[in-house]
Amino acid sequence: MAEIKPILALDPTLGEEGSCPENPVIRNFSIIAHIDHGKSTLSDRLLQSTNAITEREAREQILDSMDLERERGITIKASAVSVRHVHNGKHYLLNFIDTPGHVDFSYEVSRALTACEGAVLVVDSTQGVEAQTVANTYLAVNNNLEIITVINKIDLPAAEPDERAMEVEQVLGFPAEEAIFVSAKSGQGIPELLERICEVLPSPREQQTKRTRALIFDSHYDDYRGVVVYIRMFDGKLSVGDKVRMMGTGRTYTVTELGKYTPKPQKVTTLGPGETGYLIANIKALADVRVGDTITQELEPAEKALPGYEEPRQMVFCDFYPATTEDGKGQNFEDLREAMEKLALNDASFTYHAVHSEALGFGFRCGFLGLLHMDIIQERLEREGGVEVVQTAPNVTYELLKRDKELVEISNPADLPDPSLWLELREPIVRVELMINTDSVGDIMALCLSRRGEFKSQQAVSEMRQFMTWEMPLAEIIYDFYDKLKSITRGYATMDYEIIGFRKENLSKVDILINGEIVEALSFISHRDTADKRGRALLNKLKKQIDRHQFEIPLQAIIGGKIIARESIKGVRKNVTAKCYGGDVSRKRKLLEKQKKGKKKMKSIGSVNIPQEAFMAVLDTSE
Amino acid sequence: MNQTTGITVGGQRADARIALTSPDVDARSLYVHVPFCFHKCHYCDFYSFVDSRDRQAEFVQALEVELKAMSPAAGRLQTIFVGGGTPSLLRPELWRRLLQTLGDRFDLSQLAEFTVECNPETVTRELAEVLREGGVTRASVGAQSFDARHLKTLERWHDPANVERSLEFLRDAGIARRSVDLIFGIPGQTLAEWEADLDTALGLLDGEGIEHVSAYALTYEQGTAMTKKLELGRLDAIDEDTEVGMQLLTWSKLAERGFGRYEVSNFARAGAECLHNLAYWRQEQWLAAGPSASGHARGFRWKNVPRLTDWMESVRTSDGWSSVVDLETPNAPRALAERIMTGLRLREGLDLNALQEQAGTFGAGDPLRREIDRFVQSGDLEIAADARLRLAERGWLFADGIAAALMGSLSPRP
Ligand SMILES: Nc1nc2c(ncn2[C@@H]2O[C@H](COP(=O)(O)OP(=O)(O)O)[C@@H](O)[C@H]2O)c(=O)[nH]1
Ligand code: SF4
Ligand SMILES: [Mg+2]
Repeated sequence: MAEIKPILALDPTLGEEGSCPENPVIRNFSIIAHIDHGKSTLSDRLLQSTNAITEREAREQILDSMDLERERGITIKASAVSVRHVHNGKHYLLNFIDTPGHVDFSYEVSRALTACEGAVLVVDSTQGVEAQTVANTYLAVNNNLEIITVINKIDLPAAEPDERAMEVEQVLGFPAEEAIFVSAKSGQGIPELLERICEVLPSPREQQTKRTRALIFDSHYDDYRGVVVYIRMFDGKLSVGDKVRMMGTGRTYTVTELGKYTPKPQKVTTLGPGETGYLIANIKALADVRVGDTITQELEPAEKALPGYEEPRQMVFCDFYPATTEDGKGQNFEDLREAMEKLALNDASFTYHAVHSEALGFGFRCGFLGLLHMDIIQERLEREGGVEVVQTAPNVTYELLKRDKELVEISNPADLPDPSLWLELREPIVRVELMINTDSVGDIMALCLSRRGEFKSQQAVSEMRQFMTWEMPLAEIIYDFYDKLKSITRGYATMDYEIIGFRKENLSKVDILINGEIVEALSFISHRDTADKRGRALLNKLKKQIDRHQFEIPLQAIIGGKIIARESIKGVRKNVTAKCYGGDVSRKRKLLEKQKKGKKKMKSIGSVNIPQEAFMAVLDTSE
Repeated sequence: MNQTTGITVGGQRADARIALTSPDVDARSLYVHVPFCFHKCHYCDFYSFVDSRDRQAEFVQALEVELKAMSPAAGRLQTIFVGGGTPSLLRPELWRRLLQTLGDRFDLSQLAEFTVECNPETVTRELAEVLREGGVTRASVGAQSFDARHLKTLERWHDPANVERSLEFLRDAGIARRSVDLIFGIPGQTLAEWEADLDTALGLLDGEGIEHVSAYALTYEQGTAMTKKLELGRLDAIDEDTEVGMQLLTWSKLAERGFGRYEVSNFARAGAECLHNLAYWRQEQWLAAGPSASGHARGFRWKNVPRLTDWMESVRTSDGWSSVVDLETPNAPRALAERIMTGLRLREGLDLNALQEQAGTFGAGDPLRREIDRFVQSGDLEIAADARLRLAERGWLFADGIAAALMGSLSPRP
């Protein structure tokens, strides 16, 4: 095994590019794939082949650093690794960037891709092109990246590399014969891939200005060192001790450390054009750093920031309340707040603020990039924060154009003003990409149409598989669409979605009355055409979840005072056992205790006890 | 817990000695369980079985040993109740022995009530004589229904006509106090049919002079044949409205005829209440003999091993003390919960002062107090002038829910 050399500062003045380790040819690239197609495994194999890590280290996936990521098999945080490679006598520095694999993080993915000139597209030879394969490829193509196709897992008996390469050609337009067949597991095909990376991927583009411009494409929080920022140098240089400015946020810092991950961190004194690395500058919270922002010198700032910076936009909202345990104790609000604050240090893209709900008490309303992001946050709250939470059904952000022309974002139906003040209520629309099996096309069509979908296109990927695109309201897919899709296609379908804008729709706010009282936590916004049906479905759910009381409980769904659906929960007629228990008092006592224990955690509204689960019923549209 | 051989405490096999070998035991009641039946009814979850090997003699022999062992713990007995199973299935000569033993071992000088449960089919003139001679004062006859169809549904094997016959035999023998057990809510039963059953039972009043009725709603107990059939869809439980109708009818009809509802399912002419059952419901102390019998003394509760063989074996090998499968040691909150649970089912209700004493703090902020106030306000409970807390008329239909809520308000047991 060759000796692993640390990468020291590069020195482009040293002869021809690639002639010595100090002046290598640089390749910046990403690996993109549908989940589980082998991105992380391939990354490890590349590190191992370039001797950056040992075989033992390769057994563990190096680039996925968080426990949760490894368990879910999802790479949440991108990181960048620099390795050396010698090809045809030339010295190369390969910087590769592990991107998050899920669309919820598509902004992060696209920033990571902006930091690259090329991408390695991985397709599992037993699965073929999936929805996220397509979505991620589009992102790469939009960023003008050179793409190398890898057909992975060819060691598996079920592998069909030729067919899959044809799929890639048909769906994505990259010639089948150019695909490289690889087993990230055995290492077969890896040398060929390395060769291709060196020969085909472009060098970093020419500088456009002498003034320093570095793109922040990721960041993470380190308990010991604070925020670590991942950067790609486009123009100029950065050195330790420089006073820098973030052009988007306007904050300034002094650089205390620069370095590269090899994958172990290696300090350097300077980063120059085309390079990737990390920067540490005494930044306290992740929220102070925005992915996509440009770093420049405070003294000689660049005139224009690099393009593409956007504020993270939360599209899905839900509330978290501290869960109460059976004995009524449970965690309290302060524990939850502490957990939220800790998590926010690590994830700048979710938002939270304290709310109070008549039904669930004090909690937090949180915004997420998407559904997966929401699940991840909930899990991390519980796992890392050690708190148990009750999560309400998610809803989306609406845009309300008021009569006075003010445009406001509505992330909670309860915040909607009276309809007389509305000019237009708009909802977020997504483009949904689906990869499905041919025999479920009919059912999927029906599903999408029932969710107010607008059919856009369909393409046969192979005899068995179809790729479809639809436009649909985000609200229609955030709750159970994915589950439905999976069940219709027996687990086969894959899906991706991207928000394409807001559209004016005939929307109304539906309020729910229980025993004559409006329960705000149950209000929802619905298309007028489907409001009656959804209202009815919700009432039916509530009817099942709310225990019978000693009196009849009317349930109503109303729009602006007009009743659109009604139901009632019949009063219990009796709760007494007329039986001979004789002397076995213990047994009778246990039965009664069970009756009491069987009760879920309740919230009382008026004289009606409502189980917390009922508040989750709102967006569940299944009948 | 080991269901067949009993539990152990600190490595020692546990039995009722833990409760009964103490000078402060003051048990004035005795329950004796006879586990034999001639057929197993499909709704029954009492410990009983059809004895094909004739183990009656062995059983009575073991019972004698057990009674002898526990007799020092008894004070002057006020009530004895022999239940089952089918006590009337024991052969007269065995009954003689058993009654003899009771008389020899216990001080019966103050015995106020001695009940034996009887199956209408198995009561003979001879048996009735033997019982009366041996001191039995009260008989409870399991009629359940007078409609052969409904008895069939219950898989209860007796001829309805024999109810009257058995009551006559008992009366003629001089057993003055007689009670009839009835069951309502049998699949297929209508409100009118239940009313007919009640009428028949009341019709026996004149001729047979019964003074007490127990009317139970059919309860689907886990593990019984009825419950299995219900789960398999071979039976349809009657609907809630009908059952409520039957319950209300039971209460009103029996009250009309002078049978006071002194417990949810028990009705008696004034002064004819079953003292033995009242002892249970008033949380008094009692001894228990026979397999699966439950006892209560000094805050301990226990239950003998149910299997006849295990019970006999343990009685034989442990100086007459049966192993137990359930044992609860004294625990103040539990005792309070039990007092509430059983006391609320009684017409006399609970003595609020005694309750307060037992509950300790009982201020306005006390959760139990709050629950009580809530139900008083809703009209489910009432507090009488004599400071007794009891079910108000509308509360009777919700006795379990109310008891569960009150019990739930007590601080959790340690
Ligand atoms: N047999 C085989 N399994 C592979 C190969 N590449 C990846 N895998 C397995 O596929 C699963 C998903 O791989 P991973 O690298 O985590 O996928 P990612 O989600 O794209 O990062 C893991 O169980 C890997 O061990 C391969 O070439 N051959
Ligand atoms: S006679 Fe009584 S104890 Fe025996 S099986 Fe029937 S209900 Fe059960
Ligand atoms: Mg991965």
